[in-house]
Amino acid sequence: MLSEGLLYCAEGNPESFNPQLVTSGTTLDMTANLLYDRLIEYSDEAKEYVPALAESWQINEDGTEYSFTLREGVEFHQTRYFTPTRPLTATDVQFSFERWLNTDHPFHLISMTGYPFFSAVGLDRLIQRIEVKDDHNFTIHLHEPDSSFIANLATDFAVILSAEYGEQLIAEDNRVALDNLPVGTGPFKFQHFRKDVSLSYRRHPDYWQGAAKSERVVFRIIPSDHKRILMLLTKDCDIVPYPPARDLDNLDARDDINLYSTVSPNTAFWAFNTQKPPFDDVRVRQALIHAIDRESIVKAVYFGHAALAQSILPNTSWAHFSDEEAYTYDPVAARELLADAGYPNGFSMNIWALPVQRAYNPNARKMAELMQSDLANIGVQVNIVSYEWSTFRRRLADGDHDSVLIGWSGDNPDPDNFFRPLLSCAAVQSGSNRARWCEPRFDRLVMSAIRTADRDERLAFYREAQELLNNQVPLMPIVHSMRYKATQPYIEGMHLEPYGGTRLLNTHKGQP
Amino acid sequence: MTRYLLRQLSLLLVTLFLLTVLSFSLGYWFPGDALVNLSGVQTLDSALYQQVASSRGFDSNILVQYFRYLSHLLQGDWGVSLQDGTPVWNEVKARFPATMELAVLASILALMLGIPMGIISALNLGRWPDRFLMGLSLSAYSIPVFWLAQLFILVFAVNLQWFPIAGQINPLYNIEPVTGSIVLDLARADHPAKSAALVDVLRHLLLPLLVLAVMPATLLARLTRAAMHDVLRRNYIKSARAKGLTASQVIFKHAVPNTMQSVTRDLGVIFSFLITNTMITEVIFSWPGLGSWLIRSIYERDYPVMQAGLLTLAALILLVNVLLNLLHAWRYPQIRQELYANA
Repeated sequence: MLSEGLLYCAEGNPESFNPQLVTSGTTLDMTANLLYDRLIEYSDEAKEYVPALAESWQINEDGTEYSFTLREGVEFHQTRYFTPTRPLTATDVQFSFERWLNTDHPFHLISMTGYPFFSAVGLDRLIQRIEVKDDHNFTIHLHEPDSSFIANLATDFAVILSAEYGEQLIAEDNRVALDNLPVGTGPFKFQHFRKDVSLSYRRHPDYWQGAAKSERVVFRIIPSDHKRILMLLTKDCDIVPYPPARDLDNLDARDDINLYSTVSPNTAFWAFNTQKPPFDDVRVRQALIHAIDRESIVKAVYFGHAALAQSILPNTSWAHFSDEEAYTYDPVAARELLADAGYPNGFSMNIWALPVQRAYNPNARKMAELMQSDLANIGVQVNIVSYEWSTFRRRLADGDHDSVLIGWSGDNPDPDNFFRPLLSCAAVQSGSNRARWCEPRFDRLVMSAIRTADRDERLAFYREAQELLNNQVPLMPIVHSMRYKATQPYIEGMHLEPYGGTRLLNTHKGQP
Repeated sequence: MTRYLLRQLSLLLVTLFLLTVLSFSLGYWFPGDALVNLSGVQTLDSALYQQVASSRGFDSNILVQYFRYLSHLLQGDWGVSLQDGTPVWNEVKARFPATMELAVLASILALMLGIPMGIISALNLGRWPDRFLMGLSLSAYSIPVFWLAQLFILVFAVNLQWFPIAGQINPLYNIEPVTGSIVLDLARADHPAKSAALVDVLRHLLLPLLVLAVMPATLLARLTRAAMHDVLRRNYIKSARAKGLTASQVIFKHAVPNTMQSVTRDLGVIFSFLITNTMITEVIFSWPGLGSWLIRSIYERDYPVMQAGLLTLAALILLVNVLLNLLHAWRYPQIRQELYANA
């Protein structure tokens, strides 16, 4: 009984069971690759996009029509609340996409949080219509070419739901269940969830890639990173994601713990709410940035397990451009800038510190405390704010913060993934632009970059966009870090992917 | 006895009434809109807001509001959480049994440890068993529960790997939470590996129970020792000895029952301490009870949850104290005489 299941100790509660509705890595880890599939996937080994639910696809010459052929015989989950009568067809794809595309869709307004990723990258405005040809063929028509379209389809967010389940819920007049009692095609199906305690999944026996190796997966909700490591040592957890940086050397040295790592294109950053004075003044933002000693943050918070960031775009990306000048530690310049902006005696502000541990920020509270003392040196008084994760995200999207310590993990290898979802005007609306910074020039640059497929042209646009960011500093990039998971030695088949949420298809308990 | 019973029950009712008044007033004392604080309903939809306002009497004076609050409480409508909109009563229902499970089992353990310790000490007053037990209880009594918990976790869980440190059971056993108390849930579950699951539950229970039982056990040991010491000097003990009863007859027939009289009186206070410690223990051992929920709600300023948690725990302590008073008076007639004489 115990040998057939996995205990995964997660850092927080999932906000929803539908990745379409969220951008939180915690939720994606617990849902995206376990409950659902996408049309296509990115393979890091092959460095290219590979078929998933879509067997093949063709693009017309203009780059505005994408025709897909679906895999046959893909079965949906059978659960206590839904029994599918037919395998996946093109209507399911249409149903899933139109949910966030079409405001008249019966499920569109169910989401209280909107569809933050799709509106931030503008997919809802890019897609003109979805044309179903037959059960397994459909075409997506775009308004204009977009070089990041395929990359966005391969992200955790573009999951395929069941249209039949949707019809059943409409008949039962229980539409909210679509996101709370999920049905997908993924390797695991939902069993039950108790907030703050645990979330259980069972294997989907008819999974199209072959059934998962583990019969059950249970997520235990353990918000304290200290507690999670203790539970790893006492064998209360089989898998612990995001072990704290202070424990990495120790865990690596132990024979009775396996530590896995992968590059994970991510950036921790400090975003200012640029719609609130005084943060609407670029001099104030520059002053605050020059007051921060980022090198000591890397030492104290990441214990050296991270690279100092010089741009929002990770240094592993081909479009990365670094500017050492923009983010240097220079308290004297900071004071001058502050005096220039009319605050010679400083002011008081709050820093919202991410309440969960992510690969890019293992301990935001400690980071905020270090910054508090740095900022006190230039006369800025800091109040550190934190809430439980789902509350934190909701209030952040409302724009209640002065500034926030948060970050972003790449969903796909396209550089666009770090620009439009984080800093475009559309992302201000959808709430994922933490800086609430809307600069038409920046939007024009990143839009031009995706309209062309030519890499050199794109590079020039991204370079200019990053220069603009370095001048305007709506946010301060802090570090790019690795992604780690620690497991018991008898856990086999663990494989960490650089992009997207946790995968557990082949993970199982071996002989202890 | 009837008169005493009625007096105790009316005391209980009056105190419960004051408690609900306090809980209701908190809605006004917490920052923000009293209606939101009491109901947990946050909405921009003014029709819905009006509906909640009129159902809670907010279109009328404060007395009406209080009585509506009371009737909502009695109907099991305790509002919804400000954080996730789930009904507060559902959580109380699922979490209260988990807290009670810890508190009751820890009380039993404390009684089983503390009372024999006190008796042994009193019988060996001033000699080494007494000095040893009292030294032990003084040092155990001085250790704060959160520190003791960390110490036990380090020694018994991390170093010796004997016990797990979180939750009620390994979740892979897949016991469906129905009552919230793992012992009851397991007892009623139809499970293929029931005995293995029971062992797992006991392993999960042992550390939190030990941590919780230490303080009340040491208090009980000291109380029992003092009471027994007092009883042993009484004339009826002397006369029992003079009549030629054996030492064990004197102790178990005469000394111990009379010792228990004054110990029973203080059990209520000990229980209040125990509940406070249960909250801390729940947080440390990730026990899904009221305490860990209440403490988190305080961090999150989740007012409906805070009110519910405070009300439930205060009512529990109150109820246990009244029941103990009743037990005391019923079991020991001389207490009733004293009470009537005073009245």
